[in-house]
Amino acid sequence: MSEVLILGEVKEGSLDLKSLELLGAGKKLASELGGKVALLLMGASVTKAADEALSHGPAKVYKMEHPLLEGFKPDLWVAALEQACRKIGPKVFLMGHSFVGMEVAPRLSARLNSRLTTDCIDLSMDPEDGLLLRTKPVSGGNAISVFKFEGEPQLATVRAKVFVAAEPGDATGAMEEITPEIDASMIKVESIEIVEEESVALDKASVVVAGGAGLGEEDGFELLEELAEALGESFDNVMIGCSRVAVDKGWISSDHQVGLTGTMISPDIYVAVGISGAIQHLVGMVHAKKIIAINTDKSCNMFKVADYGIVEDYEDVIPALVEKLEELS
Amino acid sequence: MTEIKIIVCAKQIPDPEAPLSDVRVDAEKMEVIVDAPLVISPFDENALEAAVQLKEAVGGKITVLSLGKKVSDTVLRKTIAAGGDELILLQDDQFENLDSYSTAAALADAVRKVGDYDLVLTGRQAGDWDSGQVGLILGEMLGLPCISLARAIQVEEGSVVVEKSIPEGYERVKTQMPALITVSNEVGELRYISRTKMLKMMRGSRKIPTWNADEIGISSDALQKMGIAALSSPPDMGRDCQIFEGSVDDQAEKLAEVFMGLK
Amino acid sequence: MTPSRVMFWQIEHIWIFYVLATLSTVLFLGGVAVYILVWKKSAGSRSVPFSADALKKMLLDVFLGRRLIEGDVAAGLMHLLIFWGFLVLFIGTSVLAIHHYVMSFLVGTSHLVFSFAMELAGLMLLTGIIWALIRRYLQRVPRLERRLEDALVPLWLLLIVLSGFILEGLRLSSQQPAWAAWSFVGFWVGSLFSPAWAEAFYPACWWIHTLFCLSFIALIPYTKLFHILGAPAAIYFQSSAEPVLLGIEDGAGEFDLGDAIFFDGCMRCGRCVASCPSAGAGEPFAPRDFVQAMRRNLWQEHSPVGDIRFMSRNEETKVDENFWYCTTCRACLEVCPVYGATFEVVIKKRMLAVEEGTQVPKLLNQTLEKLFKYNNPWESSKKKRGAWADDLDIVNLTKRGAEADLCYFVGCTTSFDDTAQRIARSFSAVLNAAGVNFGILGKKEPCCGDIGRRVGELGLFEEQKEGCEKLFEKYDITDLVTSSPHCFHTFKNEYPEAQFRARHYTLMLQELIAGGKLKFKKGFEGKVTYHDPCYLGRHNRIFDEPRDVIRAIPGINLVEMPHHREDSLCCGGGGGRMWQDLQGDVKMSEVRIREAEATGAEIVITACPLCLIMLEDARKAAGFKEPFRVMDLNELVLQALEEKEANNE
Repeated sequence: MSEVLILGEVKEGSLDLKSLELLGAGKKLASELGGKVALLLMGASVTKAADEALSHGPAKVYKMEHPLLEGFKPDLWVAALEQACRKIGPKVFLMGHSFVGMEVAPRLSARLNSRLTTDCIDLSMDPEDGLLLRTKPVSGGNAISVFKFEGEPQLATVRAKVFVAAEPGDATGAMEEITPEIDASMIKVESIEIVEEESVALDKASVVVAGGAGLGEEDGFELLEELAEALGESFDNVMIGCSRVAVDKGWISSDHQVGLTGTMISPDIYVAVGISGAIQHLVGMVHAKKIIAINTDKSCNMFKVADYGIVEDYEDVIPALVEKLEELS
Repeated sequence: MTEIKIIVCAKQIPDPEAPLSDVRVDAEKMEVIVDAPLVISPFDENALEAAVQLKEAVGGKITVLSLGKKVSDTVLRKTIAAGGDELILLQDDQFENLDSYSTAAALADAVRKVGDYDLVLTGRQAGDWDSGQVGLILGEMLGLPCISLARAIQVEEGSVVVEKSIPEGYERVKTQMPALITVSNEVGELRYISRTKMLKMMRGSRKIPTWNADEIGISSDALQKMGIAALSSPPDMGRDCQIFEGSVDDQAEKLAEVFMGLK
Repeated sequence: MTPSRVMFWQIEHIWIFYVLATLSTVLFLGGVAVYILVWKKSAGSRSVPFSADALKKMLLDVFLGRRLIEGDVAAGLMHLLIFWGFLVLFIGTSVLAIHHYVMSFLVGTSHLVFSFAMELAGLMLLTGIIWALIRRYLQRVPRLERRLEDALVPLWLLLIVLSGFILEGLRLSSQQPAWAAWSFVGFWVGSLFSPAWAEAFYPACWWIHTLFCLSFIALIPYTKLFHILGAPAAIYFQSSAEPVLLGIEDGAGEFDLGDAIFFDGCMRCGRCVASCPSAGAGEPFAPRDFVQAMRRNLWQEHSPVGDIRFMSRNEETKVDENFWYCTTCRACLEVCPVYGATFEVVIKKRMLAVEEGTQVPKLLNQTLEKLFKYNNPWESSKKKRGAWADDLDIVNLTKRGAEADLCYFVGCTTSFDDTAQRIARSFSAVLNAAGVNFGILGKKEPCCGDIGRRVGELGLFEEQKEGCEKLFEKYDITDLVTSSPHCFHTFKNEYPEAQFRARHYTLMLQELIAGGKLKFKKGFEGKVTYHDPCYLGRHNRIFDEPRDVIRAIPGINLVEMPHHREDSLCCGGGGGRMWQDLQGDVKMSEVRIREAEATGAEIVITACPLCLIMLEDARKAAGFKEPFRVMDLNELVLQALEEKEANNE
């Protein structure tokens, strides 16, 4: 029986939302294949998440529990996943295009000798040869390509917020335990310490004020902070974002970065200040409900995707805007 | 501190800064045609910067490999001008449009041919197709410990300590060399390489070694093309932008009203 | 009794004097020897050729103090007093030595004349020194420094002069010769002392005076007094040496003989600081400080004993990145008494920084990358370069079969910037009105490479130059006119084997008007002022032609700003600054626009795209509203030509 296997992720003991999206995708593919969808969970103890998973109606939930699977040690996870794939032998294996997925999937592809496609925005089974059709943006987002490769399992990582999360359904699936054969000697990369940094949950913001190369200097972000504050009177969750150039110049830390290699967001309002709109940035914010662009270059890409635009120097506009906002609110 | 030997894998791509208007999608030929000058993929430049910083710290040798159908030595000479000691072009018609797995396989054979090394550095993903696979697959194929998303790299006797990005912040990890590391932009922008320096180099005309598939030792079966089943232009992201007019104050006022309307 | 003077009167142990004199001479020559050594070591491939013209120029400059008076009459006169006073006294003392050791001739009338001359010289020197001290410490002229060395040097000279007059006074008072009145100052001083007292103190005073003098001579190479030798050397070198066009050969950015001599000839007068627009805008760059820091660096590198000017040993040698502020406007060279081109030294430093790679400002980094990839510093695309001409019917010389007598080289900024495009459109219209057969290069037009030269990226310049030369050859372009003084300057001066003639449009306009091809039917009623672009005016000495064009327009009232022609104030767009974000207490361009506005003119006319952009932005930033505006000369000419109503914006 062809199986579509999903790698679920566990966050603070519970099933991560991304896993439900993957499950949704998996169900779709399973029905196209005429097969079943199963979910695999890994960790030190994943019982609670496994029950949650079951309640969303997969045919099977595999549990791989082992004390060494505490946290995320790529060397062990890759080894365990390789064993799981060989044991389960799925036709298709999907992972989220997440921190875990990006680390594990390519290495799995090498070990299982099967081509992988990352960051897919659509998946379907080719009715003719039963191979997975993987759709992803390429050339920085300038084109959409559909890929197809031989190999088992068919490997893909899936972009978040693209597929609809699976609904809770009949919890009729079976639970199966797989014992990973892993030991500490397999750890080639030793973790010395984990340092938590205050990070900005950009994807939770409803309004993002972002700055780019056009700011000209680090102090430009001070003006943006003023605008964010002024907007904060009328909106909740206003945050500062940036383009990659601002991070490269050391004006702001990378957790504010919006874009293909930063965070992909879709806030209610996105204000782009001094950002030209290179495609890698655009794909990160173009789904915002309303986009406002402030830039001195009226031919830049950002104006093409914006709803409203001001062609002036931000140093003139922002103070005036802050003033007007304060008057009106 | 002993010196180290670093191999940097750098991909040549059309300039990702090129405006949208310079990109054309040919759905029939299933090709994306970018009319832009060729440059080194940005994250690979970061990898080179990391390598040069390490060389400045402990001394050693940097070998740069670049793989493609036709690799321009004008573009890649920048790697020597930046501090690379050796540049080897991996050029062969068979290298056109390879998928990530095959690319990694060819690079693995080339790395084995180069021989002695302590670190293999490459960018976390290429600036053209952003797959982000080749680095880690290459590491697996070479049987090396793999560390991805490096933001800072330090070498200690025989081992390498890396600060890698994780969702909560960063993790400091350590592994024995030889190892493979994929690098992110936090490691630092590549220092400015003057055309003066590069012109001097080109006039000094050093011959750049070029290896084809046979010389690398990879067989044609191992080289598979990107399996593109279909190619299309993305849905138009364009919107009808309303550009405000008038004095700065007028425009600011109109925008403020827009904000109030969205409350 | 015949007028004469006893040598070494009352002085015993004269041998000590000889020892001291020898010591002083040895120290002096030793110091000078180190300079020669440093100069030799930094010579590079340059040598000092012999040129009678240069020698003549140097002698006139030195003895007449021409440059010094030109820039600052008071300072020039003061220096002449000191110079001639000191020189005559020095020659006089030497003559006295000859009289004593070789041949006695200062007797009788010659002695009287001699005494009188020395008296005058002493008085001149005294007046000059006191004037100098007043200027520096009472008037506190801003460009003059007030370090220890600057106080010590004039005070030392003052002590010499005063002790000299006192000594003379003591001698005259005790000897009471009949001709004493010829030495009128000493005579008066002597009357203050009793003869007995004078005789007693004479020897001590003599030794004191001798010590002051001999130590002064010895100190010359170890202080800024070295300019006594260094300045003439620098003036001679600048006038005789062949100008060097730097390229990418090895060592091109290193300081050479010319630089070494300039650095040592610099007297820290600060005229460069007073004329530098960067220093004037409160930016962290001042030519003098930069030159002196470079001097110290050079000495640290080449001198076996380090910097022998021991009083400036602790001063800054680092310049960090301040040398990126220089706009290369050439105001420093215009006023430097030793013809020092500080901006060229800056460019050399930039060459070294660019080569090394880590001191290049990031914004400039990106601009240079764009220039390399897309042949222009503005946009990441070549396609829109000729777009300004799309709706005009202009011949494109790169199209097959197209031909024209003249090529209008538009330039990067004029092609891409909205404001500057006005220049291209109006110039094309003017050329059409004059019936000139011209064409443009459209999107194939490369960059002239100017930015590359100003920021020290000579490799980039060479590439752009090759591109231009190839293109001009391909399309058979031999006559070229451009609207940017930067392109003009680069083509004219930095393309040595150019097979084409390059002119700036102002020259062409003036020719057309003189030839009757442009008739001002409309004229233009208004008060205007003209801003001399640095690269048109100071660099290429084109001051009159633009003014001729303006004055040819009926109804025009041309007023000049205080800083005009050679003194014009830079707008801040040159030297690569257009593509950076450098600012001091105020914006350079704002300083200039305020000066323009203060003339009461309605319009500021300029002839450079960078000036146009900088001054327009400054006008807005300063809050000056219409009708006060900035226009390019072409726009003015076009408006004055046209028959339809066009006198308002």
